[in-house]
Amino acid sequence: MFYKLCSNLLVIILDTNPIWWGKKRLSGEKLSLTHCADSVAVLANSHLMLNHKNKLSVIAAHTDHSVFLYPRPPSEHTSPPKAPLDGQFEVFNQVENQLRSEIKKLIAADKQKLDEMFEPVELPSDSLVAGAMCKALCYIHRLGKECPIGETLTSRILIIKGSEDCPSQYMNFMNAVFTAQKQNIIIDACVLDADSGLLQQACDITGGTYLKIPQPLGLLQYLTWVFLPDFEMRSKMTLPPRAQVDYRAACFCHRNLIDIGYVCSVCLSIYCTFSPICSTCQTTFKILGPQKLMKRKKKI
Amino acid sequence: MMCVKLLISRDIPELARHYVMRLLFVDQAVAQAVVQQWSAAPAEEQFEAAAALVELRVWYEKPLPGGMPGWLLNHIFRTNLMTALLGGGTPWIGNKDLTPDKYTKDIPFLDKYALERWECVLHFMVGSNEGTDGVNKDITDVLLYSGLMRVDDGEPSITAEGFQFLLLDTSAQVWFFLLQYLDTVQTRGMDLVECLTFLFQLSFSTLGKDYCTEGMSENQLRFLQHLREFGLVYQRKRKSHRYYPTRLAVNIVSGLSKTKIDTHRPGFIVVETNYRVYAYTDSPLQVALLALFCEMLYRFPNMVAANLSRGSVREALARGITADQIIHFLHSHAHPEMLKRNPVIPSTVKDQIKLWELERHRFKFNDGVMYNQFLSQADFELLRNYAKDTGVLVWEMPEKRVLIVTKSGHDDVKRFWKRLKASSS
Repeated sequence: MFYKLCSNLLVIILDTNPIWWGKKRLSGEKLSLTHCADSVAVLANSHLMLNHKNKLSVIAAHTDHSVFLYPRPPSEHTSPPKAPLDGQFEVFNQVENQLRSEIKKLIAADKQKLDEMFEPVELPSDSLVAGAMCKALCYIHRLGKECPIGETLTSRILIIKGSEDCPSQYMNFMNAVFTAQKQNIIIDACVLDADSGLLQQACDITGGTYLKIPQPLGLLQYLTWVFLPDFEMRSKMTLPPRAQVDYRAACFCHRNLIDIGYVCSVCLSIYCTFSPICSTCQTTFKILGPQKLMKRKKKI
Repeated sequence: MMCVKLLISRDIPELARHYVMRLLFVDQAVAQAVVQQWSAAPAEEQFEAAAALVELRVWYEKPLPGGMPGWLLNHIFRTNLMTALLGGGTPWIGNKDLTPDKYTKDIPFLDKYALERWECVLHFMVGSNEGTDGVNKDITDVLLYSGLMRVDDGEPSITAEGFQFLLLDTSAQVWFFLLQYLDTVQTRGMDLVECLTFLFQLSFSTLGKDYCTEGMSENQLRFLQHLREFGLVYQRKRKSHRYYPTRLAVNIVSGLSKTKIDTHRPGFIVVETNYRVYAYTDSPLQVALLALFCEMLYRFPNMVAANLSRGSVREALARGITADQIIHFLHSHAHPEMLKRNPVIPSTVKDQIKLWELERHRFKFNDGVMYNQFLSQADFELLRNYAKDTGVLVWEMPEKRVLIVTKSGHDDVKRFWKRLKASSS
């Protein structure tokens, strides 16, 4: 008779890596960051529209930091949001405007940084997805705590990623994934370019959906079809089947993805080459060579 | 118009919403078979979703070129929804940029204001003297019209329905009241459509923001004044050009979508497994409500102790209040400490209240006609079998040769008996 009050939180992590998007642009592909951001805004608005109680957060994973695009910290609300000048629903308009202006700010900051540098420096070409995920988890945790008694909050994270996997984030990434699993948070991934082994694992572990988009231009349709339904609805919809997951781990010494490696018997760290001391837990491994039969002989 | 569409899209089954979202950017008809494949839900659920959309005219059937049946979204609905999501089109609410308000009101103030106004109405209903000064004739009219109150000796007094109304949660009360109000709107010479449009606009506005009254019609302005009296909007002065929607107005829509707890007011009732009820309140209204189905034991300045007993609950049931209403009232006003528990209301208490209700339904009354004084067992059995076969037999007692058939079956059985008599004699 009593319906459990239940609100749905969707955290979208958007990869805003300027290098990857720039490369895409140069190679003549039509999908641009603007297009992607627009699609994300529509997905966000659709999510908000589906239910009165739905909540939203958008985080940008940049090359060297991750930042909240929506909602902004309350202290920065200097000017009240303007009323929309067209027929768009007010809250939706705010979401869209804020996303746009924040992404602009990000890019402008990058440009300034580049201008200040005297000689071209190699920028890291990967995005801080793991960092953004941790931010998302913290945010979810906070909202869960703030949630009024008697209400429950179900959350999921959607990662929209273009740039390549970065094995150096493997540890942090996996830690975030297992935390999410423990907190019953679903991680979905929408990959724009090459398949990502790490994200596949993350989705498989947390029970989310992994999708590599065959047609980048139709991003919005993929988003609304596959990622709009929440967890309860998913059992009722026909969704793409789970893909084969690449469960290779990255070794802790060189961050390479390996098929066969050495595992520390104490802390389960993985190494691609044998090392006598585990760099994680400092255990020393004694090499057991062939037993010396000489001693026995002496005894006799 | 668009707001109405938005409202609709929140009030339909979840599956149907996803159908709409998926079809939003498709301007051709899509085969029904294809739509069916989208969902793995049971067939009834799919049918229900599709039927809901047809009923609201969100989509309609259109055959594909190949002759297959297809679905096509209503064009107006589609464009309006797209405008709402993506922007464009014309603004739908008084959008003129207002200069910053000198007397800006924050959300807590609005909440307090709305609640005060609304409680005024409730207080007026129970006839307590607290703050009834603001209740004017319009509200009284609506209350009388809806049968929540009736006039006794020139003074309006509350009816049984009125008490049931009081047991609802606030958003449901507002919704019910507004429906009744809208029923009476036309007798006041106002346009129903205009009022509805404004109401839906209100429910989609942002809490704590001010809106401009410019561009509103004469009728809508009058409607606004009425809403101001119920506490749905705040306007500093009657002539002021700006108004703030309050939580009551914004929540009209969510009031439909199964919101069961008043979010803006903490609960105050503690129910123990020994049927004791403690209510931390000093409001005479709340105490009066509690007294409807509880036996009052003690009263303290900020707290009341009461007992749920068979007698007190039966008294409430006799007034037409249902067990579900009582349980719902206890649940929706439960103290925050209670809400931490699962279940919120102790199951013994909940079950017992339901049992007390069932107690009253032990008798079932059926109209019937009795046949007795059969001369032989064979006659009795013949007639009984006939009655049984035609499904009109209510009760039988072979030892005394008595049987009772329903009133509707009486003529038929009588005719059968006469025919039998005629053929045998």
